[in-house]
Amino acid sequence: MAMSDTMTASAERAPANRVSAGGAPTERTTAKPRFSSDLPQVWIGIFLIAVTGFGPSLVGNSYWVHTFQLVNIYIAASVFQNFLFVDAGQKSFGQGVLLGLGAYVTAIFFGLHGYPFMLAAAIGMGAAVAGGLLFAFPALRVQYFHLGFVTLSAAIVFPQLLMSLDRWTNGINGISVSMPELHHEWFLGLSPLTIIIAVWPMIALWIHYAIRRSKLGRDMRVAAISPEAARSLGIKPGVMRFIAFIIAAIGTGVCGVLYLPAVSFVSPQGFNVELSFVFFFAVVVGGRGQMLGPIIGIWIVFILPNIALAQLVEYRLLIYGLLTLAAVMLFPDGIVGSIERWRVKRGVTGRGEQAFRVDRFLDTLEGGKDSQPSQEIVVEVRGGTKKFGEVVAVDNVDLKVRKGEVHGLIGANGSGKTSLLNVLSGLSRLNAGSFAIKGRNATRMAADRIADLGIGRTFQTPRIFREFSLWDNLRIGIDARTGVGSADIGKLADALEAEFAEDSAELLSHGQRRLVEVMRAVLKEAEIIFFDEPAAGLSQSERANFARLVKFLSRRMGKTIILVEHDLDLVWDIADTITVMEQGRVVASGSPEQMAKDPAVQHMFVGGRRA
Amino acid sequence: MLAEIAIIVVRGCAIGSIFALIAMSFNIVHGATGILNFAQGNMFVLGGFAAVFLANEVGVAWWILMLLVAGVLVAVIVTLQGWITLAPLRSSVEQDSWLISTVAVSTIIAAALMIWQGPFAYTVQGVVPSFRVFGVRTPGAYALAIGAMVFWYFALRIFLRRTFLGLAISALSQDFDAARAAGLPVRRLQLVAFAISGLMVGTAGYLVAPVISVASDAGLRYVLNGFVAAVVGGIGSNLGTLIGGPLVGIVGMLTAYRIGGAYQDLASLLLLVAILMLRPQGLFGRTSARRV
Repeated sequence: MAMSDTMTASAERAPANRVSAGGAPTERTTAKPRFSSDLPQVWIGIFLIAVTGFGPSLVGNSYWVHTFQLVNIYIAASVFQNFLFVDAGQKSFGQGVLLGLGAYVTAIFFGLHGYPFMLAAAIGMGAAVAGGLLFAFPALRVQYFHLGFVTLSAAIVFPQLLMSLDRWTNGINGISVSMPELHHEWFLGLSPLTIIIAVWPMIALWIHYAIRRSKLGRDMRVAAISPEAARSLGIKPGVMRFIAFIIAAIGTGVCGVLYLPAVSFVSPQGFNVELSFVFFFAVVVGGRGQMLGPIIGIWIVFILPNIALAQLVEYRLLIYGLLTLAAVMLFPDGIVGSIERWRVKRGVTGRGEQAFRVDRFLDTLEGGKDSQPSQEIVVEVRGGTKKFGEVVAVDNVDLKVRKGEVHGLIGANGSGKTSLLNVLSGLSRLNAGSFAIKGRNATRMAADRIADLGIGRTFQTPRIFREFSLWDNLRIGIDARTGVGSADIGKLADALEAEFAEDSAELLSHGQRRLVEVMRAVLKEAEIIFFDEPAAGLSQSERANFARLVKFLSRRMGKTIILVEHDLDLVWDIADTITVMEQGRVVASGSPEQMAKDPAVQHMFVGGRRA
Repeated sequence: MLAEIAIIVVRGCAIGSIFALIAMSFNIVHGATGILNFAQGNMFVLGGFAAVFLANEVGVAWWILMLLVAGVLVAVIVTLQGWITLAPLRSSVEQDSWLISTVAVSTIIAAALMIWQGPFAYTVQGVVPSFRVFGVRTPGAYALAIGAMVFWYFALRIFLRRTFLGLAISALSQDFDAARAAGLPVRRLQLVAFAISGLMVGTAGYLVAPVISVASDAGLRYVLNGFVAAVVGGIGSNLGTLIGGPLVGIVGMLTAYRIGGAYQDLASLLLLVAILMLRPQGLFGRTSARRV
């Protein structure tokens, strides 16, 4: 059963980018515009930081040297705010606290107690990380506005504590330090401090970029955008949030340590709520998620009222607020984001049917052999009951799914099919009864652990991430794989990467989005795949293609499939076993032929069409 | 000793009633829109400023009239803010712009008050005479705060369960899409919810102006403590705020007496973190805060 013959009737209609028999795409004549401008933005950013960081020293303007030292420290802090805000989806109003902890604790140990600077800085970093833990621990349990309030309270409390713990902090008088050796000219007018402070935001940008390109970064973004999709891919969203807060705390802590020699003075007024707001607002105004966003944002939010319009300095908070409100109302993507959106719009052209097809790729899978369902039971539910308040969604259900079979789960709306599927994938828990997957009791397992048992699933609304390229949308399946991948899938992945690395997933049709989710599960090498109403919203021909794909997955790749579906024709066409649910109970189960004759099922068909 | 306990409990409950009121005003907007208004504390402070400018050392009749004026004024401002906050949500795919815009509005109000009135804390002469609890003189505004909390709790209960408008707003909090499908004017109902929340915090700020510091930068403290009260009680539960508010108030008072006034906000922060770690859905929470 060759996929290219069966998957689409239109396969012969000369696809734009033909793939050779080996699976590698042929050289394309025109290069696609890059999907992500992150890398060019990083380079532009490094250039801008270099100009502002080194330039004033080269021309010998000490006022601007000092100003841009502070600006570049703030840019680095905003880079980590940007990472936290977009890549991890966490709105923190307390990043100024972490910078303050790094600066103040270093100042206390270095300035007041005479510790060596490096040792004091290490203690300061420890304090910043400890502060980050205050945000990170609640993040394990809750998210969203809850963390917004936690971080905002910290920003309010921190300067209060600096004042009232005056026995240690010197209170309102602050702490002055002197580090002349760092300010001495080294060469070309550059001091060691100038160099370090210019290099750190560049490193910060690279760290952000590197994380975003890594498996960790993709996992974080998936968790931030769709926690349930993340969990079905074996990702723990709470842990992702925790890690993100810690990374941001370390990065911001370094900014704090650098703040001390740059400003030579710390006082409680320097670390009030306003500082945290500057970082937050800079990210919004500059462009959330854009690599250049924090740079442009700090230039506008900080430089504009504080330096360029110094006579308006009393109005700066008002200006921050108005700029941010205007950004949200008028250009929600921020300045860099609006430019980027314009670039993407120009470059993106819908590729129609060709935008995402996989038949040719699947053909390259050599391991395919005809496999038949075995007698081994891989999913078993015993007396499963799930209640939502008074409503019994799943009522004492017994279910056995054999390895390698396509198991159709049908029934009217509200009969408990999706509830059962959510229980099986760990997104909700049984109130009574138990279930086992591949012989392991999974009744109380979290969704991410169940995913790691080799389960893949699709959702009623496909979870496609427009922030990711089409290839990255598929790649998160590989990220979720637990073992070493097979060679076949490796080849398949290479071919998909070559084809779709620079494609956008935004313009895909609904059917194509569904296909992306299926391929994600294939790349995850899930042995058992749950489909939640996969045919809903598909056209007639897309349904036919989908049916062939499911058969391919089952017969050629040996996957076990549980399919919740309303399209009875489709189910009867592809299922080996059909289970019928009604008001939470299983009323019948057996082969399609048996089911067609079962009186409990007959009434589901208008006029007994199937009988 | 007994007197000290009495002071802590009475004042804690009274200050806590303010937090409970702010928490209830959170709840009604959150139920109708899913938004938590970070500017709510500033709106409360605006009510206080209304008392400073409209009703300092005045007669009872004028004071009552100005109470209504203050409530309506703040309600109008909050409704306007609600309109601004909801506007981008209509088209935008990402739904968290409200968090940014309410924080921005909070900053704008605080900054505008600062420019207009400077960093000073204002005091107001109350009309309700002070009374004695266990021999301790207690300002009348404390009684007003507790009274306002009880009044608004029952008023909201009746409004949300007995009136058509209230039931429609309740429907929003149950199922947003169903309410829209049923033909409810969702946007207008949401603005009504904003208006009610403004009326609540506007009058509350006005009533308790004699016992709070009416200052441009006070808003954040109140919004935070109000939020902690809402979380302790369980977001969405007005009954919970009746416990959560006074609890936060008493913890703050206890901290002020035993450790120092500067540590009150720290105590609230630690209480918030503890609750989120141990019982994120709060005491009476309908839905878990845990959204993983």
